[in-house]
Amino acid sequence: MKKLIKYLKPYWYFAILSPLFMIGEVLIDLSQPTLMSRIVNEGVLQGNTPFVVRIGLTMLGLVALGGLFGTIAAYCSLNASQSFGNDLRKAAFSRVMSLSLEQTDTFTTGSLVTRLTNDITAVENVVSMMLRTFVRAPMNFIGGIVMALTISRKFSIVFLCLLPIELLIMILILRKASPLFNVVQTKLDKVNSVVQENVTGARVVKAYVREEYEEKRFGEANLDLSLATLKVQKLLSLAMPAMMIIMNAAVVAIILVGGYQIEAGNMQVGSVMAAITYAMQILFSLMMVGMMFSSISRAKASAIRILEVLNTEPVIQSGNKPVPAQWEGLTFENVVFSYPRAQGTPVLSNISFAVKPGETVAILGATGSGKTSLINLILRFYNPQSGRILWNGRDIAEYDLEALRGQIACVLQKSELFAGKVSDNIRWGRETATLEEIQQAATIAQADDFISAMPDGYDATIAEKGTSLSGGQKQRVSIARAIIRQAPLLIFDDSTSALDLGTESRLQKALKAHLKDTAVILIAQRVASVQNADRILLLEQGEIVDSGTHDELIQRSALYQEICASQQFQKEVRQ
Amino acid sequence: MSQNEKRSSSPAGKPHAGPGSRGRGGMHAHMFAEKPKDAKSTLKRLIRYLGSDKKLLLALMVIVLLVTLLTLAGPALQAKAIDAITIVTTGETPRLHVDFSALFRALVLLVSVYIFTALLTYFQGIWAAKLSQNTVRTMRSDLFSKICRLPLRYIDTHPHGDIMSRMTNDVENIANTVSQSLTSMISGLLTIIGTLVVMLLYSPLMTLVSLITIPLTLLLSRGMARFMKKYFVKQQALLGELNGQVEEMVTGYKTVVAYGYEKKAIAKFNAMSDDFRKNSILAQFFGTVISPLMNLISNLGFLLIAVVGGSLAIKGAITVGVIQAFLVYSRQFSRPINELANLYAQILTAIAGAERVFAVMDEPSEPATGTLVPSTVKGKIEFRNVFFSYDPGKPVLKGLNLSVQPGQKVAIVGATGAGKTTIVNLLTRFYDIDDGEILIDGTPIKEFDRSALRKNIAIVLQDTVLFSDTIGYNIRYGRLDADMAHFENAAKASNAHIFIERLPQGYKTQLSESGANLSGGQRQLLSIARTVLADPRILILDEATSSVDTRTELHIQEAMMKLMENRTSLIIAHRLSTIRNADKIVVVDDGVVAEEGNHEELLARKGRYYRLYQTQYEGIAT
Repeated sequence: MKKLIKYLKPYWYFAILSPLFMIGEVLIDLSQPTLMSRIVNEGVLQGNTPFVVRIGLTMLGLVALGGLFGTIAAYCSLNASQSFGNDLRKAAFSRVMSLSLEQTDTFTTGSLVTRLTNDITAVENVVSMMLRTFVRAPMNFIGGIVMALTISRKFSIVFLCLLPIELLIMILILRKASPLFNVVQTKLDKVNSVVQENVTGARVVKAYVREEYEEKRFGEANLDLSLATLKVQKLLSLAMPAMMIIMNAAVVAIILVGGYQIEAGNMQVGSVMAAITYAMQILFSLMMVGMMFSSISRAKASAIRILEVLNTEPVIQSGNKPVPAQWEGLTFENVVFSYPRAQGTPVLSNISFAVKPGETVAILGATGSGKTSLINLILRFYNPQSGRILWNGRDIAEYDLEALRGQIACVLQKSELFAGKVSDNIRWGRETATLEEIQQAATIAQADDFISAMPDGYDATIAEKGTSLSGGQKQRVSIARAIIRQAPLLIFDDSTSALDLGTESRLQKALKAHLKDTAVILIAQRVASVQNADRILLLEQGEIVDSGTHDELIQRSALYQEICASQQFQKEVRQ
Repeated sequence: MSQNEKRSSSPAGKPHAGPGSRGRGGMHAHMFAEKPKDAKSTLKRLIRYLGSDKKLLLALMVIVLLVTLLTLAGPALQAKAIDAITIVTTGETPRLHVDFSALFRALVLLVSVYIFTALLTYFQGIWAAKLSQNTVRTMRSDLFSKICRLPLRYIDTHPHGDIMSRMTNDVENIANTVSQSLTSMISGLLTIIGTLVVMLLYSPLMTLVSLITIPLTLLLSRGMARFMKKYFVKQQALLGELNGQVEEMVTGYKTVVAYGYEKKAIAKFNAMSDDFRKNSILAQFFGTVISPLMNLISNLGFLLIAVVGGSLAIKGAITVGVIQAFLVYSRQFSRPINELANLYAQILTAIAGAERVFAVMDEPSEPATGTLVPSTVKGKIEFRNVFFSYDPGKPVLKGLNLSVQPGQKVAIVGATGAGKTTIVNLLTRFYDIDDGEILIDGTPIKEFDRSALRKNIAIVLQDTVLFSDTIGYNIRYGRLDADMAHFENAAKASNAHIFIERLPQGYKTQLSESGANLSGGQRQLLSIARTVLADPRILILDEATSSVDTRTELHIQEAMMKLMENRTSLIIAHRLSTIRNADKIVVVDDGVVAEEGNHEELLARKGRYYRLYQTQYEGIAT
């Protein structure tokens, strides 16, 4: 929590003004019971109506002033807390945007979204509340005690007896409740995840006729949540009556003490009434402090989660060398790589190969052989464990990261599209692209046909995550996005899997025709997709076991023959 | 004392912007913007949920009534106690005298009332919590059962986030409203009525004085609420956009990074965030201004009572104790009015939420099923002149005819969008056909009990669906009563066993968010293992092999060949190997079967299949 407070610094004037005005408001609040008691004692009891009116108008004036102070204080505290939250949110988001993939992966998407939204709102609310009650509650508390004791020292015995009891009850309840809040949150997450799975996995649930089973599963999670919530609420239900008893005990005690004082002629009725009001105020402000602590302890979990994001240093640091305008080639030199925190044999070992401008290099290998990891290294999503990756002969780690990635167009395995127009999605590749260029890229990507067929064509809106498009359509839009980048190096990470046979072959022809000078790294599963490559690298368990053209490999590589066999090409080759 | 108790409820301003609003884009806009369309009938239905446990509801009502009455009695007894002090002895100089026996009597009564009130308040809290929890639990489980039984058409055509938000945001809203508002609403109303009655009993004139400020309070709170609403609507909409931006950028992070979009994303986010800040300061500010204004009004009321009461006391019309009581009552009276004004907005939101929940519940379930429960089907499948469209007017299948013999392996090929997946959707009755007939073993599938039908069909889907549970559980999904040996065998048969064994926790490995910690191929293998375990008569593979690499596929092919023995299999595949192994190849084009036959026959025909084959394999097939 403390570490986050620095985000409040730029708004220190608001953060200071707010409590100051609050003090004004509280002082005026505190004067009210005295004024009221004077109205009763000196006005009502003495039958002095002009006095009542005079003091009453003073009181109203003060209340108006107090309200003004309160409003200014509220405005300041809102400004401070909202600006604080705003800065925190921005800082957290740009931190997330600078993180390396392995880091966002460990956080998981869902948790990052919660951290940036719910958690920040929670902290923001607490700051706002703190600014408002931090001063008010203690001031009310101290002021109340001072005022009550000014009326009569004898009342101190009442507070001395009751305050510790209230404090104790509050601490006990809070201590028991705060872990329960976490339990409720976990149970709620569980319920949500069951629902989520059943909505996204509806086909599987239905196909296996597991509706009743899922209902049972949900029923358990639902009951768990219900019971946990009930437990917290039961505990909190205890707080209110306990506080009430103490408050009312104070009232009774004050009337009693007051009674003796009046009988002794030391006190007047109005004073007893005022004392009752102050007693309420004291006990109530203590409760406010308690509630504040409970919110702080609840927000603490949020603060920790936000700090985890803010304190994560991106693993991948950008270099500072500008990327040369003319690309001369990419070289892997004995690259070894294993995923952070992973154990056992590295994902990639001893990888060496080179790609020259205009070349097409294909990578073929089994699931888990390290193909995607290899691409991740080129884009510097991860750093290699040892060995070097060279761009124009210089280690890619030395280059400015953004500029380097600007030279590479990559079609990822999972085609991510974003809410917005089709044309805007393609324009991601190059912001300055004209509509003609977009159309041209889409034509090469075999996407022009279906885009033009849509009612709004290139202006058609894509729903969130591209759910309005089929898998093949999404892939073709993301291919167009990569093509329009006009980068010297184009990477396809198994990104034609949802295309049917004919479309893929047309795509390959169009690429050959239009992008002669572009180097292509192609990861694919089908031999047919890679057979025309200048070189095919065979990857097995993280090592390049062989490389060559289709013709060379079919002659000498048993592995390649096996792969072809699995796709039953051998017969065709022999024919 | 009730006025202190009530003060703890949230101030007028910000009940809707709290951290409770979880989730993402768009759905927040509903919260304030959406006014219930038919509030009356929704409320009735909501009350029916509340009333499902009539005893509890009744008990709660009674206890709320008692607590309210006792709360009202408090100030009266307090006034009595004070009156015991103020008895003025007649004598030379009037001075205060305390009638201690009266004082003690009043105090004893007061103490017992307080203790009793506290006790009842405790039970009121517990029972209200119980009622609200029971209500939302039933509601959640009803909603979930409905979601399980919704036709796929609904799920496919509605944003998942929206369906989710009904379960989370809307139900949560109802829960909070029920637990917080129900008792405060009842006790608020009772307090107003009760206070009014007691005040009238004391002094009608003073009552009138106390009521003077009420219209002012009402006018102010209504005016402010209307003003605030505008900003709250905008705030929720902006919050939705903000959440949407985070979710989208984080989900597509790899693409964001690969295309160097970080800075633009940050700039866009910052602009949204600034906008949100500006708006929410305004929205909340108007919320906070209301309380000093109310304070001013209530003090005005206080003053009026003091002035009028004072002059009445001088005339001896009322006692000072009565003035004290009125001072308390006037606050007791105006507070629930403010609260009810606030509650009104909250209740409207909850009703709007309930409406959204009921809207899902009122969706028709999957259409009524037949009653036929075949013990085992042989597996003969026929499509007779089947017409189907997802969107009316855009037919996907246009009179498709297809016949598959028991045990036959049929490969369905065709261009993207030709209607291959649709065939699967129809056979499993995920969707129902518009016209024509689909028969299994000569019986129209509509006559079968839907569950019994689906139990005979197993599908491996294009997108693997895994549940966030252990690997073992995910395989066991195919057959719940399977024991360890069974699903290990299934895993072995689908070659999943090898990679599972290599995981540190083996079959007990916990999958994260829908299996994100496995590779595409591994996920595929798991889903195949699940199918193997299900041991169906009819097997459907929907492009399932496309993300498994060729070597692994070779092993899967073996397992699949074994599995496909004596089973009717429909395979939607891109692989030549799969296609060539099929007994029959069906080429689907433009919603009809364009060609069928085996590989050699179709090649010889030099038709559509031949051209498809050529475009893919030219260069090799020389």
